[in-house]
Formats: sequence, C-alpha cells, structure tokens
Amino acid sequence: MARFKNKNKKAPVRPVKNQPSVDHITGQKIPKSFVFSRGKLPGPLRDLELDLRKLMLPHTALKLKEKKRNKLKDFLNVAGPMGVTHFLMISNPKSIPHLRVARTPQGPTITFEIHEYALAADIARSQARPSCPKELFSNSPLIVLSGFGSGGQHLKLTTIMFQNIFPAIDINTVKLSSCRRIVLLNYNNETKLIDFRHYFIRLQPIGVSQRIRKFVQKHEVPDLRNLQDVSDFVTKVNRASTKSAVRLQEIGPRMTLRLVKIEEGLCSGAVIFSEFGKEADDAHEEEDHED
Amino acid sequence: MAAELQTLEAAAAPASRKRKPKHKKSKNPSKRAKQKASPMAAAKPRQPSKKMKKLFRKRAREYHSDEEDDGDVEREEEPSSGDEEDFDVRDDGSGGSEGDDEEDGRGAQHGITRFVGGCRAFRVAFMKIMKKHLPDDPLGPILSAHKKLVAEKLAEDDAEHKKKGETKKEKQLAAENGHIKPANFLDAKEKFLIGVATKGVVKLFNAVSKAQNAQIGLNPSKSKDTKGVESKIVTCFFSFIHFVVLAKRRKQAFFSELQKKNTQVSNSRNDEKGNVTGWAPLCDSYMLTSSKLKDWDKMAEPAAVVGQEHESSESSDE
Repeated sequence: MARFKNKNKKAPVRPVKNQPSVDHITGQKIPKSFVFSRGKLPGPLRDLELDLRKLMLPHTALKLKEKKRNKLKDFLNVAGPMGVTHFLMISNPKSIPHLRVARTPQGPTITFEIHEYALAADIARSQARPSCPKELFSNSPLIVLSGFGSGGQHLKLTTIMFQNIFPAIDINTVKLSSCRRIVLLNYNNETKLIDFRHYFIRLQPIGVSQRIRKFVQKHEVPDLRNLQDVSDFVTKVNRASTKSAVRLQEIGPRMTLRLVKIEEGLCSGAVIFSEFGKEADDAHEEEDHED
Repeated sequence: MAAELQTLEAAAAPASRKRKPKHKKSKNPSKRAKQKASPMAAAKPRQPSKKMKKLFRKRAREYHSDEEDDGDVEREEEPSSGDEEDFDVRDDGSGGSEGDDEEDGRGAQHGITRFVGGCRAFRVAFMKIMKKHLPDDPLGPILSAHKKLVAEKLAEDDAEHKKKGETKKEKQLAAENGHIKPANFLDAKEKFLIGVATKGVVKLFNAVSKAQNAQIGLNPSKSKDTKGVESKIVTCFFSFIHFVVLAKRRKQAFFSELQKKNTQVSNSRNDEKGNVTGWAPLCDSYMLTSSKLKDWDKMAEPAAVVGQEHESSESSDE
C-alpha cells in the first residue's frame, strides 16, 4: 500500500477543529455522538447509518471509520478523550435491524427494534420538489417528543435520553435562524411504536402575495410592466401581518421503532425494562453478546 | 456404434497431429483447388521425422499384430480406392475431409495401415446421424449411450443453479428487511406527524420570541418576523432600484462614448471641462467659441496643458 509517494513528505496533518465541549453561551455541556454499526450490516442499513450520522450533525463523527475487529471497548476508549456522550449503534441480528442508543460511559442503553425504515434518498425520491440545503446541518436539530407522557417509567427514561442527545436550547439566547431542523419522536400508545421523523423548518410570511414572497425569498426580479406605480406592487393584496407560517419538509431517515429493552449499563448490566417475557429476554441478550 | 466411433478416433489420432499445420497453410484458395484436381500428384508427402515414423510403424504393427495378411491386402487396395472419389463429390466441409483422406493415404504409403473400412463406416455413421429425425428433446441431441446419466447431470446442475439463485434472493430479501419505499403522497399518518411537529415548532418559536422580546423590552408589537420581512422588502427594493439606476448610467456612458468617437476633436481637456458644466461639445456655441479646441498644428505647449498634470509632467520629461 503506497500511501505516500514521497517518503520525505509527511502525512498531511488535518487541522483539528477545536469543537468546544461546552456551549459558550449557556455553559452547558454539548452532547456529542458516535453512530456506528455492530456486526455486519447489509447495504440499506449501512446507508441508514450514514443518514443517522448526518442527522446527528454537527456534533458527531461524520466520517467515523469502523473496522470489523473494532470492539465496543475501542469506541469507548476514543469516546472519553473526545467528549463523546452518546452512542448510536445499529446492528442486524437475525436479519432484524436494531438501533441501540446508549449514554457513555455508564449507560443506560435503550434497544429499539427498527420495524420499518426509509432512507433519506428514498424520501427525496418520493417528493416532487426535494430540497436539502447544506447549511441545515451546521446546527443541531430541535427535538419534539410527543405521546411519551402517558407511559411508564421506561418511556420517561427514553424521553430523557433523547432530550439529552442534542444540545439543550435556551429560549432566552437561542437564535431562531439557527433552528432549521427538527427531529420528531411520536409514541403511539396503541401500537407501542415510535415514529421517528426528521424535517426541515421553513418560515413563510403570511398574508403576503405570492409575488412579494418570491421577490423576498428567491430574489427574483419582479415584472412591473402592467403596474402604474411601484407602490401597486406592494399594496395590492397584502395585509399587514405579523406572522409567518412554519412549513415542514421531510428530509433524512424515517424510522418506526419499537422499544425492546433498556439496560442499566452500556450494552450490559441489569435489564430495567423488557418488552418480552423472561425467556425471550435471555435470547435477546445472547444476540447482543454475539455481536 | 459407439465402439466403432471410438476406434475411428484412435486411428485418426496420429494423423490429426500432422494435419494441423497443413490446414494453416492451405489458406490460399488456389492450393486448395489444386488439391481437389489431383490429390495424388499435388500432395507431396512431407516426411515425418524418424521418430514419428518409428512410432507409426510400431502402432501399425500393433494394430495388425493378429492379422498380418489383411494389412497387406489393404495396402494394395489403397491407390485405387473409391473412397476418395466419393469424398470429392461430397460437398459439405470437403476441404477438411479431403485433407483427412490424403493424410490417411500418405500414412499408408509410409507403411501405416489405412483405415479404409473405418472411413466408410464413419461416413455411414455420420450420414445416419445427420439424417436422424430428432425428437423434441429439451436436452438436445445426445449421442452418448448414457443418455440417462447426462440428463441426470444436467438436471442436477439446473437444480443447483436454482438453489443458488434462491439463496441469493433470500439473502437480498433479508437485507431489505424493514426497508420501505415511502409513497409519493402524504398519507393521513404522515400529515398527522407533520402537524404534531409543526405544533411543537410553533410552540417553541412563540416561546422564544416571547422570551426574547420581553428581554429586549422594546416595542412588543413589532415582532421579529415581520420586522425581518419588511426590512427585507425594503432592502430588496433599494437594491433593485439601484440596479436600474446603474443600468441607466451605464447606458448614458455608452452613448457619450459613441459621441466622443464621432467628434474626434474633443480631447481630454474638453471632457474635463465638459464634466464640470454639462458636456461642452453639445453646447450650441461650442464650435464658435473654439478657444478650447486643441490646435493640432501646434505642439503641446506647457502653457496649453496647464490643467493636465499628467501630460505636463510627460512633456517636461521629454
């Protein structure tokens, strides 16, 4: 493997971006995450992993390199110095995709079964006008959890876990222009499934005619040929309004999750909650150990 | 039948080794025609090496070990054998088969038995095969005696292939487990989810704007969003107008440039002057009061170009 043509030249040292581990305004610790796989994954699931990494931006390792022989311990060893607080692990035991969300280094670990999933590319393909500007991913998404209040202790734990996975926002200091994405987790009490969606937020002024909206948002030169005066352009339909509408467009992966198990430690330890009975639970544990 | 064919092959084996280079040579058609015309005359037998001769002789001996006399009889028959004529008449692949014959003949001349009966037998057998009306067998024509075995093997192959394909398909299906392609429209569930998310966002945004407006303590009626929109409209308009004005100016500059070219007389000083009070050449009295015009007959004097620092400096340098 000839990696470097010239021996005298040294490997290019990438400038390390000094990402602060503490928010400079609120002073809170910024959660960081690793998204990686355990065991071998089929193609679509690997794509899902990449999509999840993108979703977790900017405080995640987008280009995290994994190897077959990497153990959980390896990631844990790196996580400490890097200030990584959360692991998202995708595994595929017995061809049933699983997502595990864990806090490092102590745990707990929440295991979800991925019932259904659609990749970001699939969603973009299904839309008439897909759009996903790059600057969306320079800020972390908001998270909206709904329907979790009704359940028991395990749901509360899940809520806390997901709330802490993204940096907390302080409503006194947050800039609304930085809130461009939203992750929705909706718990359905009947089916006990969690819908995981990822949208991007668009603000549209209300009560303004289409022409002005186009002019303001897209900077298109308006056609004023039929107008007598410039004021006509502004005053024709527009009511004075102080509101703007929130429009959401789906991006990123879509998942339907089922909460399967909660463990106390990092992929180990006592089982706090299990969807299945005792026997099934044991079987699951074996699964986890094999990968 | 099969046994016959086998013996034929055995006999042809040594000959085939010799035949190959000859085929390569016989690419030019003229030679081939010659061969056809007089096979015996044209075919100048190429001498096989001593070693090969020895081998052939040995084989011949072995072949005729039990019936010595027959071999002699055959040797006598050769030159006037009807086979060759027969083969000449035959048209399909005549070149190749002819070559075979010649080869055989030559071989015989070198003391190797020619397999005349075998040739005829082969011909008969071949014709028989060709004439055979084949049943519509999915396996195709099989000459082997072990027809059943072949069929079995093929079936086995097929089954194996099928199995492989199935396992591959299964694997692919397992890989796609849970992967769905979303519909092109928003169904009720998706709409509901978007509604939930929107509600959440609106709640949060309202809370944020409320908190931040309270913090600022300024005009609470002027919410942030509208202010943004209004100011944006204004700035956009200004930029638009600015653009229009710029375009106009550019146009003017272009026309003035044209005018300048028409009136070659105007020099830079005039332009300078013109910039101050309109454009001088456009004035009616311009030509009359031509004191400002440069007199090209005269050399540039320092006094005439007082206003122009550049020119004066240049002239002084000269």
